[in-house]
Amino acid sequence: MEQNEEKVEEIFVQEGVLLLSGPASHIEYMKLTGTLYITRYEKHENEYSTIFIEWKPNENLTIDSDIQDQEWAVVNTVEKRTRTLSGSLIPEEANRSKYLRVNFDTIKSFKVANSGRKILFNDGRGDVICTFSFQNGNSTCFIASLRQHIKTAPSRRDKNLYIVVGEIGNNDKQIETSFKTLSLFPDDHNYMWSFVKNFQHRPYETTMEAFAKVTNIGNYFWNYYFLEYLIVYNERPLDDETKEVLNKSIIAIESATTTHTQDDYEVVANVPKLPDRKDCPRSKPLTKEQWLDLQNCEGKIEDVDGIKLLIFRGGVTPSLRKSVWKYLLNYYSWESTQKERDQVTKDKKEEYYRMKTQWMTMTKMQEDNFSDYRERKSLIEKDVNRTDRAYDFYAGDNNPHLQLLNDILMTYVMYNFDLGYVQGMSDLLSPILYLLQDEVDAFWCFVGFMEKVLSNFDIDQAGMKEQLQHLHTLLAFTEPELSTYLDNHDSGNMFFCFRWLLVWFKRELNQEDVMKLWEVLWTGLPCQNFHLLICLAILETEKRALMDNNYGFTEILKHINELSLKLNVNFLLNKAEGIYRQIEEATHANDNVRDIVGLPKLENGNMDSPNTASFTYLESSADHASVNIDTNEVSYERGISNSYL
Amino acid sequence: MAKTYDYLFKLLLIGDSGVGKTCVLFRFSEDAFNTTFISTIGIDFKIRTIELDGKKIKLQIWDTAGQERFRTITTAYYRGAMGIMLVYDITNEKSFENIKNWIRNIEENASADVEKMLLGNKCELEEKRQVSKERGEQLAVEYGIKFFETSAKASIRVEEAFFTLAKDIKTKMDKKLDEVMNYSWFKIQC
Repeated sequence: MEQNEEKVEEIFVQEGVLLLSGPASHIEYMKLTGTLYITRYEKHENEYSTIFIEWKPNENLTIDSDIQDQEWAVVNTVEKRTRTLSGSLIPEEANRSKYLRVNFDTIKSFKVANSGRKILFNDGRGDVICTFSFQNGNSTCFIASLRQHIKTAPSRRDKNLYIVVGEIGNNDKQIETSFKTLSLFPDDHNYMWSFVKNFQHRPYETTMEAFAKVTNIGNYFWNYYFLEYLIVYNERPLDDETKEVLNKSIIAIESATTTHTQDDYEVVANVPKLPDRKDCPRSKPLTKEQWLDLQNCEGKIEDVDGIKLLIFRGGVTPSLRKSVWKYLLNYYSWESTQKERDQVTKDKKEEYYRMKTQWMTMTKMQEDNFSDYRERKSLIEKDVNRTDRAYDFYAGDNNPHLQLLNDILMTYVMYNFDLGYVQGMSDLLSPILYLLQDEVDAFWCFVGFMEKVLSNFDIDQAGMKEQLQHLHTLLAFTEPELSTYLDNHDSGNMFFCFRWLLVWFKRELNQEDVMKLWEVLWTGLPCQNFHLLICLAILETEKRALMDNNYGFTEILKHINELSLKLNVNFLLNKAEGIYRQIEEATHANDNVRDIVGLPKLENGNMDSPNTASFTYLESSADHASVNIDTNEVSYERGISNSYL
Repeated sequence: MAKTYDYLFKLLLIGDSGVGKTCVLFRFSEDAFNTTFISTIGIDFKIRTIELDGKKIKLQIWDTAGQERFRTITTAYYRGAMGIMLVYDITNEKSFENIKNWIRNIEENASADVEKMLLGNKCELEEKRQVSKERGEQLAVEYGIKFFETSAKASIRVEEAFFTLAKDIKTKMDKKLDEVMNYSWFKIQC
């Protein structure tokens, strides 16, 4: 056979690799351990690629004496060693039939699973070509070597899936040259860019069609390459519409290259499973009897932890809220006696009116010469007139409760002038005033609430950004699939959750439910940042809707905004607590995750983050496309902070 | 997948808090006005498909929170906007003065060739007017952009403003597309 004269270059060799599935011709070798090679043959006429994946079962008789220490010799990178098939390294022709040879031309994508221990090759027509399991170590070195010779792009939908784009050093150059010789665009990238921009208003099918026609390339690799080229090499940041068009096109191409027979395959198989979710049913709200029982003869609450737990579990009976909220919002200290509380009430009343007088007695002249004050005053005026006007309590013209809202917020400006008034504050005050119906009490309770959420209103929004970041970290741990999906759809910054966090779901729930949720959150139980776990509970509930509809950046925002008034508080609290218990019990929770919810670091600190490790690996091995998007993200973040400065 | 539109334009409404951005949008998208409006937190958008020269144009109009503090978040949504409505309140001098800050904000965060338009809203409140129509016109001339005085409440010129902006974007886009297509056709012929 002429094959015998072929020069073969072994690019990579790894022992201890099990053939899990493969073509029928190799059925007898399945589940056998063997050696995996990446080889390069001299160019063969009928074949596009010269790169092969080869696997051969272990020889029973010949144990290679060179390899004595299996631990250390598993990865044997033989650099550029050439062998001839008729040469001495492969002694007999019979061995040839044992070789499983797969030309890279036939591989359209491959997927890594089980923390890199398993690799699966797809033919792009819905069939799996072969699957290998790495008995010693994992596929990291194998893939790294592969990627030196094969151009791949990580899938936008699944970070463990790599689309094969072409061969490096061969057709890669060809394509590049093709684009150049086509001279579709002048050298000016901006010009090319405007070409693409002009297509963005058309549905992406048209875009693809246009590319295909113009470049006369039917092969989807080429289109993929072209789109990638646009993403990677354009110098201007991509705008969202265009990005959407490009991403959709890429996803369309990916759909053609990805097999759909992997339903039984864990997409996030390399992430250890969370412990089972516990059902955390809600209890009955705290009753008046319980409340009184827990106070001693001086009116002091004896079991503070116990009472907080009761509130956390079931909330507070509505008629009792007026009293209990003053404790939850630090107007009264839990340990105070009735006598002390009477004194606090008296003192706080005086203090309030002192501050209120300060702004009420400001003359026209003072005001005219005090622009910062004027600005705050005008913002409050505008917002008071549009706060919860649909509720009876604030409805109608000249409603006195609007005046109260206004006065409390104005007095808060004098209490904390630097912070002043920020939009969202009127939302936080409204339910408190509605419940307490007393100006002074409402003011001090509002102060207590503001203490808890002060960082939401930072002038540089640092507090909000940190929370969004924390939310992403938690989501990546509890719902990695969704978190990856959001990352790949321009939504990894979690901005679409902004409203939830800024006013603690005030805009998402009706008045009664807001009160129910807030009093639970005010207990600080079961952990810090529990409101982020409420976010996780909602996101988890909406995960399928977001992903199955393949929602992009705009649809995600729309979908989340439209959840307003459709959420069930008890269901979410139950779920959020369940998520907390999972994080608490998960042995693989990394310190970042534990830190956000206030859990101490795990003892086996360095052992506990396979999640992070695999993530880092994927990051470092990511190719141009995703790296470039990251860069965009960075420069875009930078743009934001610059514009602020 | 049936094509429900020929063009998709992303528009953005910006301007000080309380000038009526949400109301203008609500007037245009739902042809209604509601006095019990709430302040916008974060960002939202509405869709309306219009027809121009026989083409269906889907307008995706983004509404932002006006307070300066939230700009660090809202500017993230400027990218990709093809048209921007700068809105001020004719009864509020400050909101008019701030238009120049908003323009600067656009220059820093939106693409350079974005179509801009100036709207002086609440023009039904003539008795409370602080900014004359002439000053609005003058400012628009300075920036080389179009100007309308509108009223979301009384439904004055809101429709006209959006249609004009959409038309200007379409004209600009068609022109560019022609240039590029001619150019590539020429190249392929060679």
